[in-house]
Amino acid sequence: MALRAAKWGWSHTGWQRLLVLLLWLGHGTWVLLGPHPGRHWARAADVLSKPGQGLASRWAQWRAARRVSARSFAETQAENERLRAELAQLRTQMAQEAPRLMEADEAVRLLGLKRQVPLDLKGARVIFSTRPAAFGGLILDRGQDLGLVADQGVLVPEGIVGRLWSVGPTQSKILPADAPNASVAVMLMRSRATGVLQGLGSGRALIRYISNQEVVQVGEAVLTSGLDRVFPRGLLVGYVAEVAPGDLELKVQVNLSAPLDRISTVLLLPAQPPLEVQPPFVAPEQKPQRKRGTP
Amino acid sequence: MRIPAPSALRQNLLCAAALGLVFLCAPFPRLQAVVHVLLVLALAPRAGSPLTGVLWAAAAGWAFEGSLRLYPHLGGTAWADMTLTLAAGWMAGRWPLEGLKGWLARLACLVVAHTLLVHTAVRLAAGPHAWGPGWFWALLSLPLWGWATWRLLHSGPSPRLG
Repeated sequence: MALRAAKWGWSHTGWQRLLVLLLWLGHGTWVLLGPHPGRHWARAADVLSKPGQGLASRWAQWRAARRVSARSFAETQAENERLRAELAQLRTQMAQEAPRLMEADEAVRLLGLKRQVPLDLKGARVIFSTRPAAFGGLILDRGQDLGLVADQGVLVPEGIVGRLWSVGPTQSKILPADAPNASVAVMLMRSRATGVLQGLGSGRALIRYISNQEVVQVGEAVLTSGLDRVFPRGLLVGYVAEVAPGDLELKVQVNLSAPLDRISTVLLLPAQPPLEVQPPFVAPEQKPQRKRGTP
Repeated sequence: MRIPAPSALRQNLLCAAALGLVFLCAPFPRLQAVVHVLLVLALAPRAGSPLTGVLWAAAAGWAFEGSLRLYPHLGGTAWADMTLTLAAGWMAGRWPLEGLKGWLARLACLVVAHTLLVHTAVRLAAGPHAWGPGWFWALLSLPLWGWATWRLLHSGPSPRLG
């Protein structure tokens, strides 16, 4: 027993020292733990669970971001659909209103022309065109109901169109200036040489009875001369396109300035207009006279 | 001249009395600090029996801190007391006492070290705290209680007193 005790057991002093050491270390550990010892375990748990918390936080952020992006994508899609429908509606509306806008523009231009020509002009719409046919013309929507008679001049802001060929109760037909059987008394702008315009079709016409002695330049403006008592003097007819000397007279080809194929609204001159139309006289504004002695 | 170690019975009785004084002086913290230092540095250390000294020191520290009711986490003073008691017991065995002056000088050094260690341990255990004037009174009254413990433990009753 003594041998075993000596072999396995400690001495009394050794046990005392171990106890002192344990006491001292225990107290030291207790001191080092500090106030609220549970916080150390909580902190250790926080440290250990930090990677998991980071992953969970990133996962939650990713899900939130995906949800937000999905929502924004859906909202964007819905907005795109709404805008597309709105665009289609606006396009339809614009297509529906385009003729009215064109007509309004045409009306404004006609109104400007009407103000420039101090005559009692009447307006009418072109409802049909038979120009491609032989001896074709333009059909207007007004006739005798508007007091129209045959041989009234027809014009647009770009130039003259022709004259009324026949007038019905509610419709009338225009003989265009480029028709082979049409004739308009014209004059050249520079030389003031007069002639008769005869149609060649397709917006072209030929001036007859211009002497070979006259000097005609290509591009020269051709105006009405007023001698036919259909158009007053000075309305634009077209521009000289080609000049060739003939046996007895010059062959002067003219491009009509009025777009005969695209006319939708016209103005009708009164029957038997005056030979020459004076532009409207506008009296200058009188300055208010200042009395003497007044500031 | 080598001074013999005091008897264990007398030392333990004195320690018990001092521990009782620590409890009784609770209403007077400055006096309690002096008694506590006296018990830990002068009465409890004993060369060759560290366990007894450590137990008395731990009891003194827990009694002192428990009666103060100042710190949120107790134990710092007890650990510092145990450490200083062990150091003082080791010093007693390593450098045996040779007179009153050496005893007082050793106690002064131990008081300073005890003060620093106690406040370090309390700071570790309970966080920042006020030091208080206890260490000052303990150091100021060192000649008195050092002389008293010297007479009670090491030199026996005064020859003049019989």
